Amino acid sequence: MQSAGLLDGVVQRADALTQRRAVAKAITLLESTRADHRAQADELLTKLLPHTGKSLRLGISGVPGVGKSTFIEALGLYLIEQGHRVAVLTIDPSSTVSGGSILGDKTRMEKLSVDQRAYIRPSPSSGTLGGVAEKTREAMLVCEAAGFDVVIVETVGVGQSETAVAGMTDMFVLLQLPNAGDDLQAIKKGVMELADIVLINKSDIDPLASERARLQITAAMQLLGMFAEQSDKNWHPKALLLSALNAQGIDTFWQAVNEFKTLQNANGKFATKRQQQALAWMWERIDAGLKQQFKSNLQVQAQMPQMVSDVSEGRVAASTAARILLNLLEGKYI
Amino acid sequence: MRIIGDIIEYTAKNMPKFNSISISGYHMQEAGANQALELAFTLADGKEYVKTAIAKGMDVDDFAGRLSFFWAIGMNFYLEVAKMRAARLLWCRIMKGFDAKNPKSLMLRTHCQTSGWSLTEQDPYNNVVRTTVEAMAAVFGGTQSLHTNSFDEAIALPTEFSARIARNTQLIIQEETHITNVVDPWAGSYMMESLTNEMAEKAWAIIQEVEAMGGMTKAVDSGWAKLKIEAAAAEKQARIDSGKDVIVGINKYKLKTEDAIETREIDNVSVRDGQIARLKEIKSKRDTSGVTAALAAITTAAKENSGNLLDLSIKAIRLRATVGEVSDALEAAYGRHRADPQKVQGVYAAAYGQNADGTTSNEGETMEYWNALKADIAKFADKQGRRPRVMISKLGQDGHDRGAKVVATAFADLGFDVDMGPLFQTPEECARQAIENDVHAVGVSTLAAGHKTLVPAIIAELKKQGANDIIVFVGGVIPRQDYDMLYEAGVKGIYGPGTPIPVSARDVLAQIEKAQG
Repeated sequence: MQSAGLLDGVVQRADALTQRRAVAKAITLLESTRADHRAQADELLTKLLPHTGKSLRLGISGVPGVGKSTFIEALGLYLIEQGHRVAVLTIDPSSTVSGGSILGDKTRMEKLSVDQRAYIRPSPSSGTLGGVAEKTREAMLVCEAAGFDVVIVETVGVGQSETAVAGMTDMFVLLQLPNAGDDLQAIKKGVMELADIVLINKSDIDPLASERARLQITAAMQLLGMFAEQSDKNWHPKALLLSALNAQGIDTFWQAVNEFKTLQNANGKFATKRQQQALAWMWERIDAGLKQQFKSNLQVQAQMPQMVSDVSEGRVAASTAARILLNLLEGKYI
Repeated sequence: MRIIGDIIEYTAKNMPKFNSISISGYHMQEAGANQALELAFTLADGKEYVKTAIAKGMDVDDFAGRLSFFWAIGMNFYLEVAKMRAARLLWCRIMKGFDAKNPKSLMLRTHCQTSGWSLTEQDPYNNVVRTTVEAMAAVFGGTQSLHTNSFDEAIALPTEFSARIARNTQLIIQEETHITNVVDPWAGSYMMESLTNEMAEKAWAIIQEVEAMGGMTKAVDSGWAKLKIEAAAAEKQARIDSGKDVIVGINKYKLKTEDAIETREIDNVSVRDGQIARLKEIKSKRDTSGVTAALAAITTAAKENSGNLLDLSIKAIRLRATVGEVSDALEAAYGRHRADPQKVQGVYAAAYGQNADGTTSNEGETMEYWNALKADIAKFADKQGRRPRVMISKLGQDGHDRGAKVVATAFADLGFDVDMGPLFQTPEECARQAIENDVHAVGVSTLAAGHKTLVPAIIAELKKQGANDIIVFVGGVIPRQDYDMLYEAGVKGIYGPGTPIPVSARDVLAQIEKAQG
């Protein structure tokens, strides 16, 4: 894989087939765990960067079965009709036992996945959630460089991954079912706090219950202090009704997204958030890099088993063990 | 359920001798359900249909006598007989719950078909024997009608010769053996009575579970029923691949060399052209405005929940509307069903691990083989920077996805990243998805004789869209004489029925490594 060829393939607009393949190969390169691939990937990213930043980045989450894929299909088709180009990045959990995974998202986005103006890429989580975030962030940049102006990141709502996705997108959308009264407890409070918009899906089945859920969620968001700064210069999270199956509520949702964008641009938060995200990303990578360096250090590897047993059997204090091991990294022996 | 209600209503009124609906468990067992699941889900389906018809205002005795059932009969001889006996017992119980008065409403009448899944590509004449044993189970179980499969159905569509043998299997049982002279010949056997009882209890418990969920519609809609069946299928495959369940000629008593048998050739292109020509002719001769109006009436009735859809469909078809057009008219109101890909993971590996007990030395059936392969996949991931990624695809108008699902599950359990393609994909869409997801290989699962056109088409599409590095392998029902043609077209691996999945996975991995250089 030559990063120069990939760069040209991604940024050019003349040949759609070549671009599709270049985007796919570029994402594969970014996802690779090989050190030489990583170096090529960094080179590619640096060159892609001037071409990025022009899309709206949308994070979407919700429990399994809430209708994320159906929603993304309906939204994607709606946006394409309006002249947008849509990229969808989905994250599928890998098995912790075999390391393998089954990725089936496209079968749920049948129409969008065959449209020339869309690109959908499911990625295995490879067991490490932090890793996914890193790769997806970069994959997003590739899509932007290829001219996709709406990039959607989908994640299964099971915990940490939401925080990661909210930390790389401009807007975080949470899908909910109408029976929210009971369900509300099931969502971690932290996840609700990340949401810029909560969509109550399947609202066609029981409109009354859906409206009730909408009010409850709005009240809950107020309780959580999400409306702290009461000023019309700031975005106040909204709960909206949706029937993804019947493509109802998509236009209202998109209108809200545009309001959000206008408001955040006017008060400067749109740009600030991206800056903060970029810096947070840098620190995250530093953390990960240090940890990697630490773990691959031969001295550390040699001492680790002894330290582990010493700490677990109470012979050495945990903090002392950590200090000894960290010192090894710098070549010091206590 | 609207359509079911309309069918029952229309046939009860206008076609009193017609079997209004065949409540089928066949496809469930063929998809992997065990006998208890098949029995329970099918009866629960029947129950749901009866509820629907009653909700439409019909009297239970006006239609219940014309309901009929459809079982798959596989190689588990005693269990199949017991299943059919238990079915009659439970159906009577269910119908009494609906207050049926007419004894005919309490009776379960059934059709049976011998299992297509149990047939093997290897040493195919063995299938004559398998079908005979299955047919006997159906007859002992008291079937009202019977379909026997042809021995070459795991290889191709039947020839006249194989179809004749299949028919004669029935005739011999019926006219030579005197077996049919006795009603319920197993009655009174302690073994059979207790097995029947056990089967009835197991199935009843599942039916209760379905009821608790709110009925079969909910159980299907939530994906629960399908998941149960797919898990059973993966488990069964692992028992075979690990040598626990014996299949003669597959994992025991294998032939060194297989003799080629004569199979029926299908020219896909001319079949398709012929159909299109017929459609054109019909469409040019019929009353176009009448057809359009009749189809519009169907859509309206579906949307407004008025009229009887079967009645309106018959009217449209009398005017020579095609089945496709009628179904499009309904789709305009209802939309199209999308199979939700549920992901069964870990089941294959678990069942394989339990059963690979060292009693077999066949290639691909031992735990060492499995673990070595897993280790090699991990090595590949280190070397290439990612796991081997394959896309399992169903192309064309062939919805038999048991094989595809089981292979996907097993490959993922081995450590592959597996992309599932949707059903009915075109080669162009398939190539696009393979490229977009940047897979190493595409595996095409084919069971309906489409391989000769669809497989070369996908290879051509991949080339056209610029992906020379993505290799193609094929699994499913493919006659031996077509292998050369497929290899020449560029296929890197062909895995017929009975190939243990770990063996095919090993080969796919080797081919991917070769292609990656």
